[in-house]
Amino acid sequence: MNTMIKPGVVIRRNKRWLVLSLAPVAVFFMVLSGFPVLNLLGLSFFDVEWREGAAEFNYIGLENYRRLFLEETIYWAGVRNTLVFAVTVVTCQMVLGFSMALAVKRAGSVGRTILTGIFLLPIVIPPIVIGTMWRLVMGREFGLANTLLRWFGLNEVDWLGNPDIALASVMFVDIWHWTPFVFLLMLAGLESLDEEVLDAARLDVTGFWQEVRHIVLPLMLPTILITVIFRVILSFKVFDEVYLLTSGGPGTATEVVNFSIYRTFFRQDQVGYGSAMSVVTLFAIALTIILARGVLARRRNAEDAG
Amino acid sequence: MKRTAFSIAASLLALAAATSAHAKDQPDITMAINQSPWLNSFVAMVDLYEEETGNVVDLDVNPFGGLLEKIRNSVRGAEGTYDLVNINSLWLSEIYSGGFLAPLGEVQEGYALHDGVLSYGATTKWDAAVGSFSPDGALMGVPVNGNVQVLYYNQVIYDELGLSVPDTWDDLYANAKKIAEAKGIYGFVPRAARDSIVYNITPYIFSHDAAFFRVTGPGQAAIGLNTTGGLAALKTYLKMSGEDVAPPNPGAIAQGELIQLLSTGKAAQAIAVIAAWGALENPNESRVVGQMSASLIPAGPGGTHASSAGHWVAGIPKNVSAERQRAALAFLDWFQSQALQVKYVEAGGVPVRGDLAETGLGTNNSYRFLGAYSANAANAVMGLPFAAAAEASDAMALHFNRAVIGEESPEVALNAAAEALAGILEQNGFTVTRQPDL
Amino acid sequence: MTLRRTSGRVAANVLVWGYAGIILLPTLWVLSNAFKYKIDIITGATLSPVTWSNFEQLLFSRQSQFLWNLLNSAFVAVSSTAIVIVIATMAAFTLGRLRVPGWVRWPILGWALLFQMLPTLTFVGSWYVMWSAIGLHGTYVSVILTHVVHNLPMGLFLMLSFMFALPHEIFQAARMDGCSNSQMFWRVAFPLVRGGMIAATALIFIFSWSDFAIALTLTSPATMTAPVAIATFAQEYDIRYGEMAAGTLLSIVPALILILVGQRFIVRGLLAGAVK
Repeated sequence: MNTMIKPGVVIRRNKRWLVLSLAPVAVFFMVLSGFPVLNLLGLSFFDVEWREGAAEFNYIGLENYRRLFLEETIYWAGVRNTLVFAVTVVTCQMVLGFSMALAVKRAGSVGRTILTGIFLLPIVIPPIVIGTMWRLVMGREFGLANTLLRWFGLNEVDWLGNPDIALASVMFVDIWHWTPFVFLLMLAGLESLDEEVLDAARLDVTGFWQEVRHIVLPLMLPTILITVIFRVILSFKVFDEVYLLTSGGPGTATEVVNFSIYRTFFRQDQVGYGSAMSVVTLFAIALTIILARGVLARRRNAEDAG
Repeated sequence: MKRTAFSIAASLLALAAATSAHAKDQPDITMAINQSPWLNSFVAMVDLYEEETGNVVDLDVNPFGGLLEKIRNSVRGAEGTYDLVNINSLWLSEIYSGGFLAPLGEVQEGYALHDGVLSYGATTKWDAAVGSFSPDGALMGVPVNGNVQVLYYNQVIYDELGLSVPDTWDDLYANAKKIAEAKGIYGFVPRAARDSIVYNITPYIFSHDAAFFRVTGPGQAAIGLNTTGGLAALKTYLKMSGEDVAPPNPGAIAQGELIQLLSTGKAAQAIAVIAAWGALENPNESRVVGQMSASLIPAGPGGTHASSAGHWVAGIPKNVSAERQRAALAFLDWFQSQALQVKYVEAGGVPVRGDLAETGLGTNNSYRFLGAYSANAANAVMGLPFAAAAEASDAMALHFNRAVIGEESPEVALNAAAEALAGILEQNGFTVTRQPDL
Repeated sequence: MTLRRTSGRVAANVLVWGYAGIILLPTLWVLSNAFKYKIDIITGATLSPVTWSNFEQLLFSRQSQFLWNLLNSAFVAVSSTAIVIVIATMAAFTLGRLRVPGWVRWPILGWALLFQMLPTLTFVGSWYVMWSAIGLHGTYVSVILTHVVHNLPMGLFLMLSFMFALPHEIFQAARMDGCSNSQMFWRVAFPLVRGGMIAATALIFIFSWSDFAIALTLTSPATMTAPVAIATFAQEYDIRYGEMAAGTLLSIVPALILILVGQRFIVRGLLAGAVK
């Protein structure tokens, strides 16, 4: 390929590539996310009040955190719900999204285009519409869901008003809404697998499930891991659906952390306290991701050993 | 760049030039406002103003859910984008106490609202020393859309069952019970979802001569919630939310569900905002067109009536030039006259004067809500008259909602709500007198 | 064996089309609301008179400029997605496949993750202040660049995962052949990750297309995007389902076209540039 280029030139060019390929990302992060993030972290040690049209920043040390850990109730109900929510929806979305990707990959080309188009529909609908419309669908009196139940002669269900069911209803909507995210990435991962590697490996295994389990899954692990991480993060940040479906109620049945943060930081304008909530949530997400990684890694080790 | 500031300017300048009796004497101003069912009626008024005076008011129309953020961004900056901001009653205390608005008396020496304009529990004036609304405070804005809660009832069903308009909560319950039994529909709908319940329960609390808290002096507050009156009020609320008269899921009913139940004829009575009137009278949205009536919200045992304010006030930010502030005030001043408020009502708006039932409108069946509106507006209160109203509302809402869905007893809920409120008042610099636990 | 395979295929088909039904049924119901009067929507009527009034309101009423909003959305989403995908793919290749000192690699990845984990709505106030300070608030530049930084972490990590999935040996071989870093990127990595790029492009496009919080704060009436316009139908006293559904219908169509067709052009175009 590159006959006759001096090694020194190559080294210099390679260095230039390193700088040029990373600089845009670094510059974007520094210029446009540096201030907002540091501002948020800093604010968590302050109480901000507006007087005479100007902001007063009162440094209060760890007071926001003390209050959050010792006096807050709604936020912690939200943390519990969000953990349940995140684990459940991400698991369901991964299984569903992966299965559908496998199926679509094996379908004929026409079926494939049609199915991809259909499966993508939920994520191109604006989240605010998803929330509003599902509230209508799950409405107690006139909702489509209860109409269908009555049609089949079943008892109607109070999808959003019954505290025992409301969270499950919200989770269902989230799974419906975000499975396409997983589907798209899994399909891309499957399609980029090297056919030669697959063919070679197929000689060692028998049956479709064996192939998926021992060849496809291990090869796709980087994609699966990143997808899980982003789904966990995004499900911790769930907001529109909850806000429009239930606003966190009844009681605290569907309270989620991002809704608590919205109420505190934005609606009540307690930016210091809201920032502290965001920071604590950050640790909760990090912990969940580490645990999820651990589970995936252990499963892989078990596979390797078995 | 395409100029699309939903520009009344563009479309109307030509018209104004052709028809205007007066020359333009003020700079163009921009107002931040929300999209709403009453926006069209407000636009009609703006059109009329531009036609009459030649002055221009640009409206920057935002989603309801985004207007507060837009207002905050503008009024907190060194130089504001907006010369007029439309403030929901929920946000008034925050915007007033932050000192973002120019008191109207400073824009124009000694300015006062026209006689007959409602103040919805003194909410146009703010006393910074006390930290609350007060008739003695500085005038901060002009109401642009009056909205209070009223009692809605289905007149056709009332006539059929021979019911009379309730005067007390017991009457209301009795009516609800009869309707539920005779018609198999809901006799009454509470609006008890978490984001709605504090606003909805306010008339119950105040008509029982209780209060969330009362301001007793500068920086002084006395809790009035966990009292015998407060307990009776919450119990009344729970009775009106019971399965014998109300839907089985009251804890999940917000404004949308309430209007849905009324407009489909699934429910016959409710306490809701007068702004819902238009939806109930629109044949594309309602099956009860011409059937609904409005009246005074029932009184408590002491004969006290109360309603809760949910109006909008336009304020003039400090961070715009004096010239533009004067232009903004000129528009607000023009807007208040009785003749124009009649036109506002005819265009579908909710007026901000209490004396329109006496005009020709009062006898027009289409505006049969006006009498009930004026009567309730006179009793309207602002339940949480201090800067952290949103925080206090969210904290109390949880406990009221839990009482409705049966997770807390009324006593426990009131004690917890009162304690949360007291804590928030203290954080905001009030010295608080508490009540002993129930 | 053949029987098993056939029955397996039947089961797979039932599963896939069943799932498609679960997606389609509510979606079609939502979209059908665009043609109904509100009273029929809220009563859940299945058969009801058809009306175009929602589209008339949406397109021709004085307060609405929905087609303009759609154009804004398309412009913002296409530009920001193109920027994200180009810079994220290059950076992902470097971070995932080249020797980069740890003090460069970990701060970038760590920051990206940290930034992604914090709630967006706590940042929009800061962004407003920043863009206003330099007089760019309300312009396309402010929304596009903010969307870029907001979606960059996801672009970066997604492309990183696709880079990791490439077989190690290819890069070793290319290195042996004397390829420079940039040649390895354009001739080896880039063609192989294009499937991943297509998926990442679609997702980032969707996030930019449907963003509400950033667009609300940073746009002026002239640059307002479709989701903000659609949100105006969720009002304080009245949710206008019909107009909302009509707006959704009009915004889904271009989004799907741009995703299913447009991204292939973008990637193919980049690819053509690469092979030169």
